[in-house]
Amino acid sequence: MEFVKKLQESIQEHADHNVLCIKGTSHTYTDFAKEISKIRAAIVRDIEDSEKLIGLVTNDDIYTYASIIALWLEGKAYVPVNPEVPVERNLTVFELTETKYVIDSSETSEYNTFQIITSSSIPEAEINLIPKEFSGDQLAYILFTSGTTGLPKGVPITFDNVQGLVHAIEAEPEFNLVSSDRCLQMFELTFDFSVVTYLFPLLSGSCMYTIPKGAIKYFYIFKLIKEEKLTVLTMVPSIINYLRPYFTEINAPDVRYCSFGGGALHSDIAKEWSDCLPNCKIFNYYGPTEFTVYSGFYPYHKETHHKSHNGIIAIGTPQKDTLYLVVNETNEEVAIGETGELCLAGPQITQGYWKNREKNAQSFFTRKEDGVAIRYYKTGDLCLKDEEGDHLYVGRADFQVKIRGYRVELAEIEFHAKEKSHKKVNIVALDITNDLGNAELGLAIESEEFNTDEIFQYLRSKVPSYMVPMHVRFIKEFPHSINGKIDRKELRKHFDITK
Amino acid sequence: MDKAEILSKVKEAFVSVLEHDNFELSDETTANDVDGWESITHMMIINEVEKVFSIKFKLMDLMNMDNVGDLIKTIQSEL
Repeated sequence: MEFVKKLQESIQEHADHNVLCIKGTSHTYTDFAKEISKIRAAIVRDIEDSEKLIGLVTNDDIYTYASIIALWLEGKAYVPVNPEVPVERNLTVFELTETKYVIDSSETSEYNTFQIITSSSIPEAEINLIPKEFSGDQLAYILFTSGTTGLPKGVPITFDNVQGLVHAIEAEPEFNLVSSDRCLQMFELTFDFSVVTYLFPLLSGSCMYTIPKGAIKYFYIFKLIKEEKLTVLTMVPSIINYLRPYFTEINAPDVRYCSFGGGALHSDIAKEWSDCLPNCKIFNYYGPTEFTVYSGFYPYHKETHHKSHNGIIAIGTPQKDTLYLVVNETNEEVAIGETGELCLAGPQITQGYWKNREKNAQSFFTRKEDGVAIRYYKTGDLCLKDEEGDHLYVGRADFQVKIRGYRVELAEIEFHAKEKSHKKVNIVALDITNDLGNAELGLAIESEEFNTDEIFQYLRSKVPSYMVPMHVRFIKEFPHSINGKIDRKELRKHFDITK
Repeated sequence: MDKAEILSKVKEAFVSVLEHDNFELSDETTANDVDGWESITHMMIINEVEKVFSIKFKLMDLMNMDNVGDLIKTIQSEL
């Protein structure tokens, strides 16, 4: 496997460089090679060859990162579980993957019903970074996201999928990490965005800076930018939303690249943020877990590249070997400028949800193009393609609701409401079902109560009356999912409109 | 304003954000000691404290704030 071989080469070539800085302690690539080799020796000794899906407790330490590489050198997949998530949910994950072995660096493991490899206390082993021969259709990892049925939904990703991602990023001339780069790694390893924040630094011999669990992450990130002079940032947009009141105090000339993903990037805040990073290229990445992290990006620039729709920055064009297709309900391509569901095809597409035939039948389809059958994944995201071939994000397909028979895009309501709000706060539009079973619109505002007359007056001047929310709730703190996204389902519970 | 008075107002700010008063605040108290005090609620507590004391923190001060003692020192320097 080409990229695993490259990992080996990079680890060896950058032996005296730092690989990880965790809670102020730096570790070199030599330390990393030693830990990988120790864990690998334990894997070879304790786990039979046929066992491919190995549990991994995602602690914030060198052992956990070394475990991923050790498993990959052996052609095995990691099934990560977050130690801060209820054990019961994590056990469900291991049950679904029929995992028997768990690598855990914790002093006392909560997974004692499994065969444990305690990665933090393995005796010295000879350095061995040469990858085993294995086929690219083997799994590299499985990540679980919340499923609508309550049971977590598994997304298996193969080594070939990851190779596709590596090829695409390598082909991008605008983005080149070098061994002197200092990169932010703010993501929990159960979140797919983490794959790009550890894999690309490792491939280029640069150093990652993690956020300790329990730290106030917004300030910790700023501290790292300032004191460690980070050069590469990869973040979800919610981070800069919280730092926004302090933007005037941020000036980070060392940052070369700032990549966003995992949520809508708004054009007003993107412009203000780019003023804080005078020497930085900003990338607005798009991609679902089902397509191995990234499928493409838009190169944002406050003066030359600021295309947006409803205030949300464009997601641009597909990366190398990826195809974008915008379709209607019957999976037929729609015309340029028309909104439809974005579908993705290419080497990064998952083979399908883990043991979930029903969901797979809904989410994937095959289309003949020039006599070749191409398999597409339906993202659930609504987009439109413009004349220049750029894709503009419109909203989630499931945020497109029908109110009194009219199609309503919740993002549009949010855009106008925010436009007129004096306070820079989160505002979310939601569809709520009344006791007649009809959808009504609600507006949730993350703030203390304030007078909304002006916002509503403005809304009425901008959108048809059926799009003006009938219910308003002020909520001091929006509920978030574990990945930092606003939990709309939970938010909906604040609107009890049944009589 | 003396320290005890500041501490009591700070506690009120915590209670209003966290919506419980099941904690004691001393100089050594950190986010690990108080239920619900984490990244997002911290931002709200800071916002609330700024309002109560009519002050505006600097990012540099917030960045080095590790416990309640640091918070109180910073408030004192701003008053």
